[in-house]
Amino acid sequence: MTLAQVESSRIDWEGALVERARAGDTRAFERLYREHAGRVYGLCLRMTREPHLAEDCTQETFINAWRALAQFETRSSLGTWLHRIAVNVTLGKRRKAGREEPLPESEIEEEGFEPHWTFETPVEVQEIEDAIGALPAGARDALVLHALYGYSHTEAAQMLGLAEGTCKAQLHRARKLLRERLNVEVG
Amino acid sequence: MTEQGHKGVIRSLGELPRGVEPGRDLWPQIEAQIAGRAPAAPAVTAPVSRAASGTRLRWLAAAAMVGCVAVGVWIGHSVPLGGAAAPPLAAGHPGAGALQTAWVADPRYQREHAELMRSLGDQVAALPPASRAKVMASLTTIREAKHNLEEALGKDPGNSLLQELLVNTYQDEMRVLTDVREASDAGKGI
Repeated sequence: MTLAQVESSRIDWEGALVERARAGDTRAFERLYREHAGRVYGLCLRMTREPHLAEDCTQETFINAWRALAQFETRSSLGTWLHRIAVNVTLGKRRKAGREEPLPESEIEEEGFEPHWTFETPVEVQEIEDAIGALPAGARDALVLHALYGYSHTEAAQMLGLAEGTCKAQLHRARKLLRERLNVEVG
Repeated sequence: MTEQGHKGVIRSLGELPRGVEPGRDLWPQIEAQIAGRAPAAPAVTAPVSRAASGTRLRWLAAAAMVGCVAVGVWIGHSVPLGGAAAPPLAAGHPGAGALQTAWVADPRYQREHAELMRSLGDQVAALPPASRAKVMASLTTIREAKHNLEEALGKDPGNSLLQELLVNTYQDEMRVLTDVREASDAGKGI
């Protein structure tokens, strides 16, 4: 079985589990949770940098998802849908905590090219995670969604409730700061 | 982020693992929050987008569940799963599938299933034609799903999702059979 077939099979069965969960089957929903919890928690943790807060966000994401399952369109990706909810939950908590930070005017400079986010020389994983964690929230959010989770500029901007240009500017800022902190060229 | 403790070096951000396991199991608290609360406006009978149509198996599994729910609604009562008909299953952890499929071969299940099947003929024969057609259509859908799931499991025996869906389909069948019997016993004249 090829990787594509495995993935296709997984998604097919995911659809059946969604149908069951919609009918109130919590066991089916638990299966979906087990399948997606790691990636949702990974996203929340990278956005919040606080494990306990990330756990709260993950729980709230799945509770909100359960409540809104009827609105989920099965033709779209459940993972993406959950990530959207997770981003909303995380941003909501950040707003409540008053941790919003505007992008400094001087740094509003868009990414002028499609970033591959490759490093000139190999970098330790932990070193990179720490450097990402040290980024300002706005730049970190954009980087995590775009460079780690593979969302396009448009998708990342929509998820974050930003104009696409602002999202690109945040990415530019993230690249610049990473380059400085890691002391390595980020191409 | 130190709790992740990733090791090694990478050459691009895309190589970072997307998934990070939480430090504890978050499911129990999620389950406590959603228990007893069905998702808003369950779309059990809503048509599912054809654009996402994948293998036939997926639809059969979903159809089995829809057929079962339809019969439950039609009979006008719900029958909780319990006893030999549907012993409690292990939580849906990966790897729990083998445990789940084991109860299908449980002699208690086999006995109860055989008994229900024996009496089903008379009960269904006594139904009005429209009701009989509904029951038979549901059972046909469920059995077709069972057959296809078993066939798929034959090719991929370790697939825990397939195992779980098969067990759910067995449960659906038992639920329909039990509903029909109980409605008949209660003299509801279905």
